[in-house]
Amino acid sequence: MTVGPSRGRRYVMLLLLLCGFGIILFRLVTLQVLQAAELTAKADRQHQKTVSFEGARGMVSDRHGKVLAMNVEVPSVFGVPTSLESPSTVARHLSPVLHIRSGELERKLRQDKSFVWLARKVEPEQGRRLEQLSLDGIGMVMEGRRFYPKGPLLAHVLGFSGMDGQGLEGLERRYDSHLHGEKRVTVLQRDALGRTVFPKGLSEQVPTPGHALTLTVDEVIQYIAEKELEEAVTHTRARSGTIIVMEPQSGAILAMAVSPRFDPNVVAALTPDRWRNRALTDTYEPGSTMKVVVAAAALEEKVMTPGSMVFGENGHMVIANTTIHDHEKLGWMTFSEVIQKSSNIGAAKTGMVLGEQRFYRYLQAFGFGQRTEIDLPGEVSGLLKAPKDWGRRSLASISMGQEVGVTPLQMVSAVATLANGGVMMKPYVVSEVRDHKGRLLKEVLPQVKRRVVSPDTARTMTTMLEGVITDGTGAKAAIPGFRVAGKTGTAQKIDSRTGAYSSTQFVGSFLGYVPAESPRMAMIVVIDEPQGEAWGGAVAAPVFRRVGEQVLNYLGVSREDTVKIALATKDY
Amino acid sequence: MKKLTIVAGVMLVFVFVWERVDVVRLGYQIERLKVQKILLERERDQLQVKFSALTAPERIAKVATEKLGLVPPQQGQVLMVHQPGETPNLSVPPAEQIRLARHVPTGRVSE
Repeated sequence: MTVGPSRGRRYVMLLLLLCGFGIILFRLVTLQVLQAAELTAKADRQHQKTVSFEGARGMVSDRHGKVLAMNVEVPSVFGVPTSLESPSTVARHLSPVLHIRSGELERKLRQDKSFVWLARKVEPEQGRRLEQLSLDGIGMVMEGRRFYPKGPLLAHVLGFSGMDGQGLEGLERRYDSHLHGEKRVTVLQRDALGRTVFPKGLSEQVPTPGHALTLTVDEVIQYIAEKELEEAVTHTRARSGTIIVMEPQSGAILAMAVSPRFDPNVVAALTPDRWRNRALTDTYEPGSTMKVVVAAAALEEKVMTPGSMVFGENGHMVIANTTIHDHEKLGWMTFSEVIQKSSNIGAAKTGMVLGEQRFYRYLQAFGFGQRTEIDLPGEVSGLLKAPKDWGRRSLASISMGQEVGVTPLQMVSAVATLANGGVMMKPYVVSEVRDHKGRLLKEVLPQVKRRVVSPDTARTMTTMLEGVITDGTGAKAAIPGFRVAGKTGTAQKIDSRTGAYSSTQFVGSFLGYVPAESPRMAMIVVIDEPQGEAWGGAVAAPVFRRVGEQVLNYLGVSREDTVKIALATKDY
Repeated sequence: MKKLTIVAGVMLVFVFVWERVDVVRLGYQIERLKVQKILLERERDQLQVKFSALTAPERIAKVATEKLGLVPPQQGQVLMVHQPGETPNLSVPPAEQIRLARHVPTGRVSE
């Protein structure tokens, strides 16, 4: 008979076993239930990698698909200071590649951080050189960088985006919600060596790029406008200049040039003054170009006809204790001659015949004192007081383009209305928005704002404005072989020191359209503070001619004197 | 029959293992191709920017005038040739798009 363990020893062993299992059970419950969430997250961190992707910013191209702005992935360089043995040596190696002073790099690399940016969005070539150096503790990630391959071309309209891809100015800002790419966080699986295997949900990995914009602008017309404007501003030693070319039938902007120019690829060192789009943010007193509006209103209201006789008071007329002057002594003249010779007295009398309320109605109808609602940021409404705030001289002053503040865009929009038979169109610069697959998301169609004057009035105005070129102040805007309709303007600026009209600071301008009988473009040229001769007919009209001639050639518009050639075809 | 079942079972295990291994192999291959695609797209974008910069009107005009000695056409040197019935490329909106204007009665401003 064998003697087994005593009952007491059996109980002890059982107890020990139970305790052991109890501990294991407790541990299991702790790991699997109580700490489950925390440990699962820890495990995920070890074998999963979370990466944030941002889709590329959408492309911007001109009306013919020429690229004006696009994103390219370029390297950004970072350092891991905690893993560096000799920050000074690394900084010395990096300095000539990144073009940053060695001391500055060393200061960043000596920080008590595990990650510092050293240079963001550098050139691809710099990235290649850095790869060759193969420095420990220095790494690169790819980030999207905005490129404007045409440099300063159309910069004031395009604007620019910031380091983190957000639109800051111009179209980049106005259409930021369309242009910016989608942000998406993706989980990637890693193997034992830390290599990425493949993502969970493969289709979710690539974030959608931003939408692409197609503009109404033609890069060649834009180039012609910018080139001629730069030459004019340099030649006249002017402070700045603006040219807008618009398609009268649609309101599409073909070119919008502002001088001085800037390169949106390099804006860090510039001030907002440089990138402000003066075509729609700056107001000026238009001077005689406003006579186009008063004349159209007078014709529409039938208070004047082109043949109506107006007395020029021999160049001087007193209104409200102030004297209005003409640039020459004018006697009796027809209403057409008032416009041709740009008579201030004739315009003032026309305004007075119209009366405050009627004239004000036409000023509003032609779009003054309100935004044109162009799809660009920063547009101002200009300055147009209500008649109740007008002084005794205001009616006469506004008739000759004083006491009113307009933008170049408002002026070209007004003259384009006459070119379009009296119908005002809404100006716009973006014609299409497409997604990254090229599917059309939004098409901007020409939008009628209102009819301002009748087709008859518009036709009569065209004839009168042609007279400005053939027999008046705008002779230098004449384009051989084409009928041009237009008006010169020379406005004194307000001297900020005295608060009175300056005798040395002027704005010379010209606005018109061509060919007069079937306009292909309306254009305004504004030269701000030209030195020397400042007449609009002398500084702005020749620019209109040069731009107009080149653009008409480019568009393939036949001259009036062109002999029609019929191409013969022969069937064999 | 028994042997056949065992062989079939072993085969199934081999197919299963082979399939798992192949999934992982294809996963790596997909990753490599994706990286290659990204690199090619990056190169394409860089080339597109370069092409766009090289075809800028300003650069072309500079090369044409300074390098090739060309000059802009003078008056009378440009002759437009239109085939009978050909209309110029004017992007005037179609009639239906401006019908608003056409339906507005001719006359005075009604604002």
